[in-house]
Amino acid sequence: MHTKRLAPRTAAALRLALAAAVLLAVTVLGIACQEQAMAVDFARKNLAPGGECLFGTDWMGRDMLARTLTGLSLSIRIGVVTAAVSALFALLVGTGAALLGRWADAALTWIIDLFMGIPHILLLVLLSCACGRGFWGVTVGIVFTHWMSLARVIRGEVLQLKQSGYIQVARKLGASPAAIARRHILPGVLPQFFTGLVLLFPHAILHEASVTFLGFGLTSEQPAIGVILSESMQYLATGRWWLALLPGICLVAVVLLFELAGRSLAALWDVTGAKEDV
Amino acid sequence: MKKRMLSALLAVSLALGLAACGSDSGTAASTAASGQTTASETEQDRVVVVMSPESEPEAGFDPAYGWGAGEHVHEPLIQSTLVVTGSDMSIQYDLATDMQVSEDGLTWTVTIRDDVKFTDGQPLTAQDVAFTYNTVKEKSTVNDFTMLDYAQAADDTTVLFHMNRPYSVWPYSMAVVGIVPEHAYNENYGQAPIGSGRYMLKQWDKGQQIILEANPDYYGGEVKMKQVVVLFMSEDAAFAAVKAGQADVAYTAAAYADQTVEGYELLSVKTVDNRGINLPAMPFDGTSGNDFTADARVRQAINIGFDRQEMIDNVLNGYGTPAYSVCDGMPWYSPDNQVSYDPEQAAALLDEAGWTLNADGLREKDGQTAQLNLLYPMGDSTRQALAADLANQLRRLGIETSTEGVGWDTAYDRALSEPLVWGWGSHSPMELYNIYHTVNGTAEYSPYANARVDELMDQALATSDLEEAYQLWQQAQSEELVNDVPWVWMVNVDHLFWVDQDLEVAQQKLHPHGHGWSIVNNVDQWSWKRAE
Repeated sequence: MHTKRLAPRTAAALRLALAAAVLLAVTVLGIACQEQAMAVDFARKNLAPGGECLFGTDWMGRDMLARTLTGLSLSIRIGVVTAAVSALFALLVGTGAALLGRWADAALTWIIDLFMGIPHILLLVLLSCACGRGFWGVTVGIVFTHWMSLARVIRGEVLQLKQSGYIQVARKLGASPAAIARRHILPGVLPQFFTGLVLLFPHAILHEASVTFLGFGLTSEQPAIGVILSESMQYLATGRWWLALLPGICLVAVVLLFELAGRSLAALWDVTGAKEDV
Repeated sequence: MKKRMLSALLAVSLALGLAACGSDSGTAASTAASGQTTASETEQDRVVVVMSPESEPEAGFDPAYGWGAGEHVHEPLIQSTLVVTGSDMSIQYDLATDMQVSEDGLTWTVTIRDDVKFTDGQPLTAQDVAFTYNTVKEKSTVNDFTMLDYAQAADDTTVLFHMNRPYSVWPYSMAVVGIVPEHAYNENYGQAPIGSGRYMLKQWDKGQQIILEANPDYYGGEVKMKQVVVLFMSEDAAFAAVKAGQADVAYTAAAYADQTVEGYELLSVKTVDNRGINLPAMPFDGTSGNDFTADARVRQAINIGFDRQEMIDNVLNGYGTPAYSVCDGMPWYSPDNQVSYDPEQAAALLDEAGWTLNADGLREKDGQTAQLNLLYPMGDSTRQALAADLANQLRRLGIETSTEGVGWDTAYDRALSEPLVWGWGSHSPMELYNIYHTVNGTAEYSPYANARVDELMDQALATSDLEEAYQLWQQAQSEELVNDVPWVWMVNVDHLFWVDQDLEVAQQKLHPHGHGWSIVNNVDQWSWKRAE
């Protein structure tokens, strides 16, 4: 008897669908729980995880499950915005560097190197503070600290495509550079682009949580994961482990799900370059 | 064989390295503990006190840079002051033997003791006193000395303070300014202070600990506690130090109050360390003011519309007292400030102001919903919880209330149009003036102006008699402020400490704002109960 094994591509597609479904569910549930997550009820403060509140409650009697879901949902939404804008920026810079000639390439590569040279979190804190913290501070900060690696990958890919036969032919046939970029090069880098975009998510989410944890991100009345984790630090010494542990595990789970989605996408499109750390 | 030895060596060095990293915050405690074994004969009169890292005086022990006389007032210990405040906040003499103020209130004449020496053996004279006050006037960035023109020594024991304007509360300033020696004062004074107070600075390991030792030549009563070690630790590290038995007294917060530690008791000190919100009393003009709270009836309704005791139970686990003014329990406090929780009356006031309940249970007027956004300083979990509890209670009144955390960089500006949860509470009536008196047409921290309040407070400062001044401060409250309610005071937060059950901590006066050095104001009078 042979056990039937799924073809690798089918398996990847299934994993991708599963990850996407869970993440979507968390996002929607989080939005639905928003009100509950903000509700303060001192009658039930400091409850350990149990029947009434699965994740327990904090020192103001807020339901940690609702807060965790809302926080994750917020993180995912910020992640979507920042990863998308960041990846688009990377696409522009990457293709620009490859197509606009030597000088542009040198300048853009220098800018990429400059941004990569500054420690991530430092630049993020600076940008966030400069933009007045809060939602916009974090968003702008993450957008402008996460585009470099992908831009580099795309630049390499475009340079490679430029040398390929069909593009040489197109050029000889008199197609304009814009038309070549649109018709021949963009479709060629799209798999790289999408995979890179999905793989940006985990970084965006983790950095959103870290910069908020450090006090330079979202403000403390928002149920963000970074806020939840930094608040919980004060209560660890008194034995309220659930305040940090459960939301922390959930954050890791979400990050791993995005990672899984990205890898599956890469497998589906057979992209290799995108595995380079972004 | 060689390989194995090498790896063992590596493992040992790694473990040592880890231990070195891990003991970062423990170093202070362990050095303190080792001190205990070498000086076992003094164990009976030695105490280890844990304070928060913010309590460490950044600029050293120089009164010109905030030591004792800064945002958080306390007795300077290393230096002595002309006068001190008693447990009822009355003024008592320390260095001073007499003080007189001229009829016009512009000259204070203070005579001082002639038997006081600095710890370097030099006598303390009126020249030192005058030098100190002229120095703090010139240099102090944390305290207001603009009312002082200059200080002058008339002879060795008489000092004259020439004022720019009458200032009846001057003795309360004299109670916090430690006298420094003119001959030994320079820009490094804060690092190696010389004073005439009960203690001398023996050692200061920045970021870790301060060791104070009794001044053997102290002119006052006997200093019972010969050595005071102050450690600086975060809240959770302080709690860990208590559990490990490394501290005799350690500050703590209400969040830890339900814990028990064997051998320790929870000391709860009453305070005037209040938390309250400002209610902008003028309509919104584009930058400051608030249309909803501009109506005095709305402000009165909020003042009586929430249950302060419920707040104390919810947020402070019971460790607090209801606050009705910025100065509860002080001689200048008017009992007329006290209100009782009366939701019906509050609702009636809101109705009268035109804010009527709609179908959603919210109040509205001319199609506008009654709305408040309570600001609180980010990172202060107590104020955050107070804001949340007040929001819950105000929602019951039909006011749609939200909360928002803000950083101090924007808090002052935003408070001009939205209520902010503040913390005040000082050992001087000047705080009333700073909060309610106008500067250029409106009060400094929240839009409010009342000519009668200004007049009464100006009179209170101008009078030469402290008792009469108290009356006038009270009158400003009972006549005007209780009706205007430009600020709503919520709670006085008890200062909590873990205290070794064998340690007798002397009676504390009402602590001012700042959970720090106030606890050791009278550390010289503490004693151990345990037998030799």
